[in-house]
Amino acid sequence: MVPLSWYLALSAVLFTIGVAGVLIQRNAIVLFMCIELMLNSVNLTLVAFSRFLGDVTGQLFVFIVMVVAAAEAAVGLAIIIALFRTRETLNVDEADLLKL
Amino acid sequence: MQLTSLNLNYAAIAPESIVSVAAVVIMLVDAFSKKGARKINAGITLVSLVLALIAVFGLNSAGRGSYFSGMIVVDPIRVFFSVTILIVSIAVTLLASQFLRDEALPPGEFFALILFATAGMLLLAGAGDLVTVFLGLEIASITTYVMAGYRRYDTRASESSLKYFLLGSFATAFLLYGMSLVYGATATTNLTAINQAIAEGKVQFPALLMIGAALMLVGFGFKIASAPFHLWTPDVYEGAPTIVTGFMGTAPKVAVFAAFLHTFAEGFNAGGPLGSQLHHVWVTAVAIIAALTMTIGNIVALSQKNIKRMLAYSSIAHAGYALVGFVTSEAAPVGFYLLVYSLMSVGAFAVIQLLARAGDQKVEAADYAGIGFQTPALSFSLAIFLFSLAGIPPTAGFMSKFFIFKSAWDGAPTLRWLVVVAVINSIISVYYYLYPIVVMFFRPLAPGFVKPRVSTMTAVALALALIGTLYLGILPNRVMSSIGRSGTANTALVQPASK
Repeated sequence: MVPLSWYLALSAVLFTIGVAGVLIQRNAIVLFMCIELMLNSVNLTLVAFSRFLGDVTGQLFVFIVMVVAAAEAAVGLAIIIALFRTRETLNVDEADLLKL
Repeated sequence: MQLTSLNLNYAAIAPESIVSVAAVVIMLVDAFSKKGARKINAGITLVSLVLALIAVFGLNSAGRGSYFSGMIVVDPIRVFFSVTILIVSIAVTLLASQFLRDEALPPGEFFALILFATAGMLLLAGAGDLVTVFLGLEIASITTYVMAGYRRYDTRASESSLKYFLLGSFATAFLLYGMSLVYGATATTNLTAINQAIAEGKVQFPALLMIGAALMLVGFGFKIASAPFHLWTPDVYEGAPTIVTGFMGTAPKVAVFAAFLHTFAEGFNAGGPLGSQLHHVWVTAVAIIAALTMTIGNIVALSQKNIKRMLAYSSIAHAGYALVGFVTSEAAPVGFYLLVYSLMSVGAFAVIQLLARAGDQKVEAADYAGIGFQTPALSFSLAIFLFSLAGIPPTAGFMSKFFIFKSAWDGAPTLRWLVVVAVINSIISVYYYLYPIVVMFFRPLAPGFVKPRVSTMTAVALALALIGTLYLGILPNRVMSSIGRSGTANTALVQPASK
C-alpha cells in the first residue's frame, strides 16, 4: 500500500507547480489552469486524508470543491472572454489600465 | 448517521433561504418581462432583504445552537454580522436602482447577483464547519467577480473583474489547502470539534495543523485585503462601478471577518499545550499583519489623487484597524467596528457614485473643486462620512476605533505597541480624509459642473447611512451591548454550542 506521505508530497508538489505557474505565466487561460491545478491538488490531499482516517467527510468536501470549481470555471471563462472582446489579448501584463 | 442526529432546523437557515429564493424569482421575472422590470426587481430584492433581516432577529431570540450536524451555528457573531451584511445589501439595492437606470445596464441580473452574494455572505457568517465556510465564501466571491465586471464594455471594468477573479481564486486555493491540512491533522472539519481535538491533544500531525492554519490565514488575509496580500485591492476597487466598489469593499469583508472570528478566535483558540502554542503564533501573526496593513494602507493613500483609489487604500487601512480587535479574540468591538465602517463607507461611495456620473468619469480630486456649496446635501454628507472614516468625534468612526483600541489595550498587554501604531495611523489618515473636504469647500468651482440628480431611493440610502453614522457615534452603547447580550465573553464563545 502506498503510504499517506507520498500522496501528501505529490499534492504539495502539484500545489507548488500551480503557485509557480500563477506567478510566472502571463496568459489568462494558463493562469486559470494553474489555479485549477491548485484546487485539484487540494482534492488529492482531502481524498488521501479521508482514506487514511477512515472518515467520509473529506470525500464529501471534494465533491463540494469540484462543484465550486465548475462554477468558477463558468464565471472565469466568461470574464476572460469579456476582457478579450475589449482588448483582443489574453496577456495579463497588457491589462494595465489600472496602475499602482 | 441517523437523520435525527443531523439536527435539521430550517429556521436556522431561514435568512439564506429567503434571499436565495428571491434571487431565483428575480431571474424568472427578468426572463419573462419584456423590458427589464427594474422597479419590480428592486422591490422584490428590498422585500426579501427586509424579510431576511426579520428572520435574523428571529434567530437572535432563539438563542445559540448548532444545526445540520454542526454545519450551521447560531450565535451572537452570526446574528450581528448578518444584520450588518443585510443593512449593506439594502443600502446598495436602494442605490443600484438609480445606477442601473443612469447607465442603462440590464437590471435583472444585478439584483439577482446582489441577492446571491448576500446569501453566500450570510452562509459564511453562520458557518460552523470548514465546508460551509468554503461554500459561503465561494458563493459570495464568484458573484462579486461578476458584479465587478458588470459594465462589461468598459475596459477598466473587465480588467478589474479579471484581476479580482484570478487573485480571488488564487487566495481561495490557499485557504482550501489550509483547510485540507487542518482536516488531516484533526480528523474533522467541524470548528467546535477542531477546537476540542486541539484542546484534548488528539491532533495526529501538529505540524500539519500549524501549516494549515498559516495557509488559512493567508487565504483570509487575501479576502479581507490585508497587507501583504492587498495588492489586488486598489486596481479592483478603482475599475469596478463605484456602487459595486461600495458593496464589495464592505459586505464580503464583514462576512469574511465573521468566518475569520469563527475559525481563529473560536476554533483555533483552544486550551492544551498545542492550543496555546497555536494561539500565540496566530495572534502574533495577526498583530504583525494588522500593523503592516494599516501603515501601508494609510501611507499609500496619502499620495492618491483619485478619490476611489484613495478610498480603496483607506479600506485596506480599516481592515488593519479591525484586525487589531483580533488580538483579544473579542467579537463585540470587531463587529461594531465593521458595522460602522460599512455604513460610512457605503455612504461615501454613494456620494462618489453620484458625483462621478455615468461611466465613472469624474473621480479625480480636481473634479471636486468648489462643489461644496453647489450641491450642499451631497458635499456635507460626504464630509460627515470622511470625518467618520478619519475617526473624528462625534461620528461613529471615533467610537468604533475607541472600542477596538481599548479592548486591545486592556486585553493584550504584550501587544500594546499595536495600539500605539494604530493611533499614529489614525492621525496620519486625517490628512487624506480632509483633503477632499478642503478641495470641495475652499477651491474655485471646476468648470462644467452640473448638479447630479438624486433619486428618492438614493436619498433614502444616504439618509440611512448618515443617521447610522451619527447615531452610532453619539449613542453607541445600545448596539454595542446587543452584541454582548447573549454572552460574548471571551470564554463563552469557545464553549461547544448547546444541542
